[in-house]
Amino acid sequence: MDLGFIADIVPEILEGLPTTIGLFLWSMLLSTVGGLLLALARMSAVGALRWFAVAYGWLIRGIPLLLIMFYVFFALPEFSRTFLLSPFWTAVAALSLWTAAYQAEAIRSGILAVDNGQYEAAEALGMTRAHYMRRIVLPQSVRIIVPPFMGNAINTLKQTSLATVITVPEMALITTRIISREFNALEPLLALAIIYLALTTLLVFGQAGLERAFRLKV
Amino acid sequence: MGEFDIVWRSRAIFWNASWVTIQVFILSLILATAVGLGLALMRMSGFRILRWLSATFVWVFRGMPALVILFFSFFWLGNNLGWSPFQSAIIGLGASSAAYKAEIIRAGLLAVDRGQYEASEALGFTKAHYMRRIIIPQGIRVMIPNYISNSTLLLKSTSLAAVIGLTELTGRSRQLANSTFQPIEILTAAGVIYLVATSFLTLSQGYFERHFELKR
Repeated sequence: MDLGFIADIVPEILEGLPTTIGLFLWSMLLSTVGGLLLALARMSAVGALRWFAVAYGWLIRGIPLLLIMFYVFFALPEFSRTFLLSPFWTAVAALSLWTAAYQAEAIRSGILAVDNGQYEAAEALGMTRAHYMRRIVLPQSVRIIVPPFMGNAINTLKQTSLATVITVPEMALITTRIISREFNALEPLLALAIIYLALTTLLVFGQAGLERAFRLKV
Repeated sequence: MGEFDIVWRSRAIFWNASWVTIQVFILSLILATAVGLGLALMRMSGFRILRWLSATFVWVFRGMPALVILFFSFFWLGNNLGWSPFQSAIIGLGASSAAYKAEIIRAGLLAVDRGQYEASEALGFTKAHYMRRIIIPQGIRVMIPNYISNSTLLLKSTSLAAVIGLTELTGRSRQLANSTFQPIEILTAAGVIYLVATSFLTLSQGYFERHFELKR
């Protein structure tokens, strides 16, 4: 093992970091919105919405992300040209569709954990349903949602590496190019592993920080 | 639509590719369970070095993408030791999953009441003996739900082997989608096969829970 060589290739791999982070942040943004909508649909009074949310979760969680990515990349444009996306946005779309199913579960379990007696109290105080959701339920459920939400975020960060297969130039793709150029796999892979470990460990610390920030102040 | 007869005409290809997926899944599941159990016991051992080794393994293998672990197993280990993509996939996916299995198994063993450990010791059981005969059989019941849902994750992860050139279900379907110019039909069929397999695994949870139920 050649430590100097690792130091040489880290900067080259880091050229893919903005793409990795871009995939991650866009997917987190879209999947959080999608997950919240799915969670609300799942708890809605309208049967069709509940049914859709359940079917969506079953479908997405039953299929490998890689296949979803191939589907968005190869099959969706066959339905309509409007779905013809660049590799980057294909990866964002697939990661968002996939993560949303898991975030919906995280958000729903947090909302369900808030005691129903509080709804009766809020109603007795004359609050509307929307007001009650926004001011009473969400602040309390955020605390419960943080751990599974951040667990999903860490998974999504790691799964951005799958964008390699549709030629998005993120860190894993750059690393495989270095491997074939240098005829050497160990050092480039160690460099890549160290970067991913640093990123996921950072997110774990972020989770601890969020849990502290949302802790009950009594 | 209406072109789904391509799926029926390709049924032999789907069957062969699914069989590769099933083999990779079962073999890497066995490897992950064995290594995960070893890691969980190391984590609970009296030796600090073993605890530290186990915790480090779990941190490192959960901290990087399964794809990167698969690259290590294929481009580095496999290349140096002459492994086929099939062997590399089993080792890589097994090692990646072992880190999660270790946490699930440990949580199950820790859920067994403290008094059971103390009673076993008071009765003069050796640690190896009471772990095997008293703690693990009780811990298994607690582990089942997490173990099964983690195994469906592993089943889906077998698709990553497509990246190292193994013609399992996802990789083969992608090739077929390109050569037939019918990606919608082919990829939908592959999705249905995965849905059936993952739903079957999820439903098997009830069976295992009954199987390991307390019999009085």
